[in-house]
Amino acid sequence: MSKISLQKKLFATLIIVLSSISPSLSQFHAAESVAFAKEESGELNLSATKALFDTHSACFVDARSEYVYYKSHIKGAISLSDSRFDEQFPDFRQKKAIETLMVVYCAEPSCGKARSVAKKLMKNGYKNVKVFSGGLIEWAQAGFPMEG
Amino acid sequence: MTRIGFSSALITVLRLMLGAFFIISGYEKLLDLKFFSLVIAEYQILPSLLIPGIALLFSLCELLCGTMLFIDLFSRFSSSVMLCLMVIFIAAMINNVMRGLGHECGCFEFLSRWYGLKEEIGIVPIVRDILFFILLLPIALFGSNRIPWKKEQK
Repeated sequence: MSKISLQKKLFATLIIVLSSISPSLSQFHAAESVAFAKEESGELNLSATKALFDTHSACFVDARSEYVYYKSHIKGAISLSDSRFDEQFPDFRQKKAIETLMVVYCAEPSCGKARSVAKKLMKNGYKNVKVFSGGLIEWAQAGFPMEG
Repeated sequence: MTRIGFSSALITVLRLMLGAFFIISGYEKLLDLKFFSLVIAEYQILPSLLIPGIALLFSLCELLCGTMLFIDLFSRFSSSVMLCLMVIFIAAMINNVMRGLGHECGCFEFLSRWYGLKEEIGIVPIVRDILFFILLLPIALFGSNRIPWKKEQK
């Protein structure tokens, strides 16, 4: 009798523990899967972008308008604005080899310019193109190197 | 020419106010001509080769005409030049709004630096430039074209 009640208690405890952990676990898994999905689709988060920046293994491309780039941008980034892509691209093409890893960014996650420029780059033969979805705002808030 | 309803005091106030405004605006554009050139490029109207020259011309026009308005030197002429500039600015902005382009207007950058006013092209800067046009008209029509340090002949 007492053995059965002990089993019941253990089972109930297990249920309580699992139910309390599972929401946080599911959130953890959800965040992880979103990050994974973003990376798979060519989007980078802040830490991945910073790692590429530190190892100098990518070319940073600013998709915002040139006059905004002129005021401030990620250190070492090149301007290739979405609005004047056709005018700027020939010069860009001469400077950057087609196999270079490109990290495109714009102002913030909601800004679509980075994705648009990334698409245009891929259309023009650049295969290794990633988008830093956080944009300059996230980069600046983290206190990472800027110039302009 | 009869000066219908426009007292010289009103013309003077308009002259000083607009003159000061254009002096500041032209001066700050000349200080950072590269930025102004890049904003003009964003309008996608002029060929790239002409842009630096046009940026210099517009900035100098604003500064010189502003100074001339302020000191009342050839006020009618300088306000007429500014009227032409206003028409160009208004036309360029309307063109870009109709093409669905969105960017800074490049009109009065000091307003955004000093007061945090965003200068995106749209209805507000267009209406503001139309207002400037209306304010410049009385000077162009009823202002003087005299040289202030020369005595007027009787």
